[in-house]
Amino acid sequence: MKTAPLLLLSLWLLASAAWAGSIVTTKHNLSVNGAGTVKAVTESEICIFCHTPHNGSREAPLWNRFSSGQTYVPYSSSTAKAHPGQPTGDSKLCLSCHDGTVALGMVRNRPAAIQIQGGLTTLPSGATRLGTDLADDHPVSFVFDAALMAADGQLQNPATLTGAVRLDASKQLQCTSCHDSHDNQFGKFLAVNNTASALCTTCHNRTYWSASLHKTSTKTWNGAGTNPWPHTSLTTVQANGCENCHRPHSAGNKPRLLNFAGEEPNCYSCHNGNVAAKNIQAEFAKTSVHSVAATTGVHDPTEDAVNPPRHVECADCHNPHAAKAQTATVPAASGDLAGVKGVSSAGTVVNPLVNQYELCFRCHGDSTNRGPARIARQVVQTNSRLDFQSANASYHPVLATGKNPNGPSLIAPWTTASRMYCTDCHNNNQGPGAGGTGPKGPHGSAYVPLLERRMELTDNQTESAAIYALCYKCHSRTSILANQSFPFHNLHAVGGDVNCLSCHDPHGVSGKTHLINFNTAYATPASNGQLRFVDLGTRSGFCDVMCHGKNHTGSTNPDFRY
Amino acid sequence: MLALRRSSVAAGFFGAVLAAGATAFAGVTGSIHDFSARGWTGGESCKVCHVPHHAEQTLADAPLWNHTTTVAAFTLYRSSTLHKTVGEPGTRSKACLSCHDGTVALNSFGGAVGGEFAAGRALVGPDLSDDHPVGIAFYHAPGLVCSNCHGGRPMRLVSTLPFFDGKVECASCHDVHNQRVGGARLVRTTLAGSALCLHCHPK
Repeated sequence: MKTAPLLLLSLWLLASAAWAGSIVTTKHNLSVNGAGTVKAVTESEICIFCHTPHNGSREAPLWNRFSSGQTYVPYSSSTAKAHPGQPTGDSKLCLSCHDGTVALGMVRNRPAAIQIQGGLTTLPSGATRLGTDLADDHPVSFVFDAALMAADGQLQNPATLTGAVRLDASKQLQCTSCHDSHDNQFGKFLAVNNTASALCTTCHNRTYWSASLHKTSTKTWNGAGTNPWPHTSLTTVQANGCENCHRPHSAGNKPRLLNFAGEEPNCYSCHNGNVAAKNIQAEFAKTSVHSVAATTGVHDPTEDAVNPPRHVECADCHNPHAAKAQTATVPAASGDLAGVKGVSSAGTVVNPLVNQYELCFRCHGDSTNRGPARIARQVVQTNSRLDFQSANASYHPVLATGKNPNGPSLIAPWTTASRMYCTDCHNNNQGPGAGGTGPKGPHGSAYVPLLERRMELTDNQTESAAIYALCYKCHSRTSILANQSFPFHNLHAVGGDVNCLSCHDPHGVSGKTHLINFNTAYATPASNGQLRFVDLGTRSGFCDVMCHGKNHTGSTNPDFRY
Repeated sequence: MLALRRSSVAAGFFGAVLAAGATAFAGVTGSIHDFSARGWTGGESCKVCHVPHHAEQTLADAPLWNHTTTVAAFTLYRSSTLHKTVGEPGTRSKACLSCHDGTVALNSFGGAVGGEFAAGRALVGPDLSDDHPVGIAFYHAPGLVCSNCHGGRPMRLVSTLPFFDGKVECASCHDVHNQRVGGARLVRTTLAGSALCLHCHPK
């Protein structure tokens, strides 16, 4: 009896004197000797702020605090399958300090509140004071069971939560699932080290995430501008993982707990040239953009793929959980577009999309909220999906190889057997397609409508390589002006200052070959009442059209035939 | 491994504890358990609990017991995070509860039935569900690995505090006869820095 305590004392001292994860050295030691700034004036007991050996509350192990009695606003989002109500269990205990309504020193086994230094009563404002609005905090007090796992589809099996990250006895997720109030060895009293989101991924199993560039990139912040990771001390994209975009508490954007209010600021925080290699944010300051700044709070992940209220956000084209560095061959979409929805050439929603054009067709195809045509045409068609159908008489070869077997103007490697992307024409005017070093993709361009190269849209401008740069990218100016494909090209383009687009409708034309669909701002019916192009075979045809006051009556006058 | 690294520190600390203990253990006299001033003791404080002859036999391990023993039905401590079973208070604790559960008067001893009951902070009551568990085994069965239950949030498996049949009882924290650190709680070691709690709970 005498030696056993001796031995035990020794062992205890050895094991304990400097316990790695002891509460004693943390901010949760609110005693006068505590490590934080919020601490007692004289009280030296540590446990007392939460626990008492006698006459405790039965809410929790020997609980020494009083519940706040507040009504909280729980987290909710359109995509959440868990629908938490008021906090329960251990979460209520944490909130008895962290909602900021209960005096820190108010404990059951002291006749008066323990005095806190600086005259503090409740938890001062700051990151740890959650308030009673928990809508910007990760949800707590909901049952995480197999049914929730199945309903969500992107969660780990709750049966695996047997380690430091645990559910409570009611299978509910609580503050204590992620936090260990007694142990701050990982910072923020986290139950496990959250580097590379090890804590988050204990429960969350996002589709596509394992191959995502946001999971694997070793990029760092160059120190310029706003800190992209204000709530972590981690220094790479890989290490920040989920926290590149999300924060579990006091989120700027409540649903989905995004770091910053609004949508695009969450992307710009890295894609502004300070972390990611390319400055995407700057693209949106250009003349012609996919205007992600035009709406806030309209986009929703659960929205209809084709007919939501008209908007565009980064997340409409990019899935931040899926995007990866993967090149593709036309018409397949590259890794930038991994894991997003699209609409097939037949008009059905595909998820995830396979081909790049499927993304464009979501908004520029069957969507009923499309804007008016940019150029008034004889045949009006603003549905780009229909423009490119392979059943049409002519089209640029996005959905299928082109119809015209003769393409003398095509610049190698383009041939009449080529396929092309939407982004071969619609792209950054400073990106690699335009010979620049800017980012790829149709975020913004100096040229309307988001064209990779300059393309004037109206007549009466002196022909040059510059003003029709987009067409001349693939169609040799030399060949065109030498009339290799159409004997009157030079006459029109150079002699008449007629724009390519005044005769040609570049996407496609259902009933006319050679993409002929007149700009009705210039082309009206000829004196014979006809407004038409008639294809008479290979390099042969005529027009009936009144253009800039010039009456073309090809049906009767051989001068207008070829 | 830790033991090897810290053995010299431990030896020194333990020596200091012994030295301090020799002078600090003031005995029951003058403590809150000194009932000699009460009329019903006639100045004999010890007899409230002990008698040299013809002692009470119902409480095993309660030496020369003289106080009427509680027969209250106790409500035991429960917790969803507790991995050990909480049993009935052991005889050591029942001796304490024979005053502190409030069902037996302080001055019910030696066959007499008194009328002064524990009150205020001294009153624990027969409902022990709001009190630190007693009658709970502190040691694990051989072969159990800490992380089986504690998931990396350990409970210390050894302590300098005394246990009784391997169980925590009132006397694990309290020394009924000595004001080791002063004050009315008769705790075995100081509450400053929550040292007493941290003996077993290395939080």
